Amino acid sequence: MDALSQWGPALWGAAGEGLILCAKILAILAPLMIGYELAKAYGVFQRPWPRLRPALGWIGLGPGSLVPLLAGLFLGLLYGAGILIAMSDDQGLGRRERLALAVFLVTCHAVVEDTAIFVLLGGSALWMLGSRLVLAVGLTVVLARWWKRPGG
Amino acid sequence: MSSHPTTTAHPPWRGALGQGLRRVASLAGFLLRWVLPLYVATEILVRTGALHWLSGFLEPVMGLFKLPPEAAVVVCAGMLVNLYAAAAVAAPLNLTPEQVTVLGLMLGIAHNLVLEGAIVRQLSDRYRRLTLLRIGLGLAAGLAVAWML
Repeated sequence: MDALSQWGPALWGAAGEGLILCAKILAILAPLMIGYELAKAYGVFQRPWPRLRPALGWIGLGPGSLVPLLAGLFLGLLYGAGILIAMSDDQGLGRRERLALAVFLVTCHAVVEDTAIFVLLGGSALWMLGSRLVLAVGLTVVLARWWKRPGG
Repeated sequence: MSSHPTTTAHPPWRGALGQGLRRVASLAGFLLRWVLPLYVATEILVRTGALHWLSGFLEPVMGLFKLPPEAAVVVCAGMLVNLYAAAAVAAPLNLTPEQVTVLGLMLGIAHNLVLEGAIVRQLSDRYRRLTLLRIGLGLAAGLAVAWML
């Protein structure tokens, strides 16, 4: 057993390490959060980004789901929830399209934040993010094909 | 989402900067209130050996993912709370980069299931199946990557 006298320094050490972890997370996310607010203020999210439409169709999504998809992908389900739900309602997305959007986003969302947290601890961004993207695209493509099959 | 035309002469970046800083401040508060205490608590449980003792029975299960039994707490924290909680618990465990990658992928797919489930519910009435999909997919992906790395 450790001597009781060792506990004070150990606790302070742990608190210091914990603070460093908090500071690292904040240092990565602060520029992203401010950048997002600036992009929003200058109307970046209101542009239709037409080049992405063919890719959307491929995964079974119509042009109306572009903004909700981007909101979820970059902001995450919690931060992006306002835009995500409001835009899905506004754009009149159908039941299937909403499900396809949900399948994509539950698999892969908040790509920067989620990945950054575990990269800080030493994880591989390529494996963590790459696998999620591949799975999200793969699942939605399969779903779109399933719906397109005769009788689907 | 609509842009807000302001009657004052302030350029748009001012309001955006203020809003961004408020978000950063609220994240800082969250980190200090939750991540810091969780980190210290985990460190204590690791040092006393309590965490190892408590999680010992999970060794065969966690071994499948090439993770130490203690990592079960990281999985629970991530799935039930969020990735910050998972990181606070994972950091004191001295995991290898491969183990962090496995946890990051598993929990990247399946995290914060209760709160995010409530949001998914507003998007699709099949939210229960979608949550099960996340858990299954997360575990399968973690298992696959654990044996590939």
